[in-house]
Amino acid sequence: MKLKWIAVGVALAALSSAASGFDLGKLLEERVNQELNKNKKTPPASTASPATPSAAAPSPAKQKVDINQLGFALFGDYSPEQENRIGKQIAGNLLGAVPLVRDDALQRYVNQVGNWVALQSGSKGVTWRFGVLDTEDINAFAAPGGYVFVTKGLYRLLNNEAELAGVLGHEIAHVTQKHHLKVLKQSSLIGALGQVASSKAKSSDQVVQNLIGNGAEIMARGLDKDAEFEADRVGMVYAARAGYTPWGLPDVLQDLAGLPAKDSRTSLLTQTHPHPADRLATLGEAVGGQLDAVQGKELADRFYRIK
Amino acid sequence: MKRFLIPAAALLLSAAATSALAAAGTVLRDDKLYSQPSAAAAVAGSATKGASVNILAKQGGWLRVSTGKSSGWIRLLSVRAGAGGLGGAGLGDVVGAATTKSDPTRVVAVAGLRGLNNEDLKQAQFNADELARLDAWGVTAAQAKSFAAQSGLAAVSVPALAAPGSSPKSKPAQEPSPWESN
Repeated sequence: MKLKWIAVGVALAALSSAASGFDLGKLLEERVNQELNKNKKTPPASTASPATPSAAAPSPAKQKVDINQLGFALFGDYSPEQENRIGKQIAGNLLGAVPLVRDDALQRYVNQVGNWVALQSGSKGVTWRFGVLDTEDINAFAAPGGYVFVTKGLYRLLNNEAELAGVLGHEIAHVTQKHHLKVLKQSSLIGALGQVASSKAKSSDQVVQNLIGNGAEIMARGLDKDAEFEADRVGMVYAARAGYTPWGLPDVLQDLAGLPAKDSRTSLLTQTHPHPADRLATLGEAVGGQLDAVQGKELADRFYRIK
Repeated sequence: MKRFLIPAAALLLSAAATSALAAAGTVLRDDKLYSQPSAAAAVAGSATKGASVNILAKQGGWLRVSTGKSSGWIRLLSVRAGAGGLGGAGLGDVVGAATTKSDPTRVVAVAGLRGLNNEDLKQAQFNADELARLDAWGVTAAQAKSFAAQSGLAAVSVPALAAPGSSPKSKPAQEPSPWESN
């Protein structure tokens, strides 16, 4: 809730300087109220007043902010194109930190499994890209617009194609559930981000990059634990819908749970994810006996092993 | 030598879906032990949240465990592997490496290496060449479907899982990084 108020403050601050001369204050105020009324509690009318000061608001003086774009960015959905622009920047930055493994057969294989699992999500208009990152660190990443990465370190822990499908399913779920976009929306710069991401100008790539933070910072920040639990539930179902055994992702979580806590390969993973035991327990509450009748393949034979 | 390896591997495969393990584990929730890996099988005992178990075998969504008092099959998601107790609230995972299927020597081999960290990610510069490489490895939906069909994978209807009930039972407050405190 607090974040929302900060966002409102930012919106209003941006409005007061960039949009003076237009009667947009009224428009935004209505939009803000409309949005807030979706929540259980109706806030007091005075809190949406343009007079509300916000210490968190950056100086918007240099930014031209289109009010429709701003309102849209704060409350609406991005188009697949906008999502891809944002995700492409994050993915490109991540690849600046860690290159891809130079193994055509491996990368092709992961794209085939990943696309097949992603097809089960029912999302339209997404161009999915999967890559194995050349690091022994154990982790996986997703960015908006269909970018999914798994590290070589995590890949080495996998025993069959169903486990790979489970891991990719978890990351695909972050994309389909728009978890990273929700984090970005909570950032105070989101209004301008929405504007530049919709711009056709190539030069705005730099602006997108500036606004999503340094490098691939969003990957280091991580998501909240409910987003991770949701991705576990959704990803497990995607893998099962693809014809794999649903137990691939839980098997990987079991292997992660068995790693020593001080393994340096999992330090970033531990910072950005709930403990695997908590993930298993939470997943278990959701699954119960519901998947008892689901049969599926493990495909250990076809699983591509890194030399 | 090679001649012996091949039949040995074939034998392992023919042992089918049940793989033998000998690993420590902790029960994550009160649950039943069954005489077979099926909820339709006879109940062979029970396991209490927090109890230590030995994981003896795995089959699909089931683990065969021994609690000391009894043994039987329990749901895979009712137990965690490793010696770290219940997780965020648990004790150190000091012997964890020995309890996984993964090769413990590998852990030793990389233990001195620094993994990815926040600074690496913050300092990262956009790399257009790597991104182009990524695009080049992409496949189409049609290619993915044909790849799936090669191994007999077919789409299955599986309903979505609802989030666990938002019951107001008090959960212990979570630290931002519960795993760290292990």
